[in-house]
Amino acid sequence: MNCNTLHTKMIFFLEGELPEREMEEIKIHLESCTDCAAFAEEMKKTLAVLETDKTPQLNPFFYTRVKARLEKQAEEKVVTQRIPVFARILQPAIFSVLLLAGIYTGIKIGQPAKINSDQSVYTENEMIPYLNEMEAEAIENFLME
Amino acid sequence: MNEAEIIQKLQQGNEQAFRHLVENYQKRVVNTCYGLVQNTEDAEDIAQDVFVEVFRSIGSFRADAKLSTWLYRIAVNRSLNHIRDNKKRKWFQSFEDAVKEKKAGLLHYATENPGTELENLQRANILHEAISSLPENQRTAFTLNKYEELSYKEIAEIMDVSVASVESLIHRAKT
Repeated sequence: MNCNTLHTKMIFFLEGELPEREMEEIKIHLESCTDCAAFAEEMKKTLAVLETDKTPQLNPFFYTRVKARLEKQAEEKVVTQRIPVFARILQPAIFSVLLLAGIYTGIKIGQPAKINSDQSVYTENEMIPYLNEMEAEAIENFLME
Repeated sequence: MNEAEIIQKLQQGNEQAFRHLVENYQKRVVNTCYGLVQNTEDAEDIAQDVFVEVFRSIGSFRADAKLSTWLYRIAVNRSLNHIRDNKKRKWFQSFEDAVKEKKAGLLHYATENPGTELENLQRANILHEAISSLPENQRTAFTLNKYEELSYKEIAEIMDVSVASVESLIHRAKT
């Protein structure tokens, strides 16, 4: 038996779950291979941790806590039952209407202002009177004189 | 008080019977949850929920299975749900937080088991990681076998599978 095969069978060997022939083979191998013997020892110690692990200390207040949890859940149930149907249905309905109204107002505010088409045509076609600056600045002529 | 009496009294809402049930099964339920979630506080929290569920749904319990089998089933289901929720949470958790949580877990183990040498702490860590890395059904079978020392037949009843499947699951978990 090589070392790799032995490693996969180690846990079964330590728990005595292998056929007698294989148990003997592993025992002989462990006597001659120090690495595998060390591996077996380490695995034995690791499995021993399970023994200390599986007896957690019992909490003396366990029942009290379970009872408190039960009572708390019962209270919560009563509170939800006490809320009248009116409040349970009307409240969400009002909030939904308000929300829709808000969205509608938002859309309306967000829309760009309408441009009056008549006025724009008028603006484009508006005649800008020509300004003769020389004539308009008669004061300069006056000063030059 | 035998099992049939406990069930009958529980169905009538008898508090004394419920106390009797909690005291009798507390260790087994906490141990099973601990074997699966590998955390003392979480295990106790889940175990409390198990008893609350038992109290609430005892009316629907039909005596076609043993009370202990039913309790183990609820404990296993709740623990597996907790593990799944934790996995989802950890997916969003940073690496740093995960390391901190792991260290806190080890520290908690050390305080729970005073006098434990550092070497044993490391071994416990290796063991917990190995158990946590197992697929759900192998982990359940292994935990019930190793932590609760249940027979393959009892595990098969709890997991609702055949005895041969349990044997195979435990064998695969060990290799």
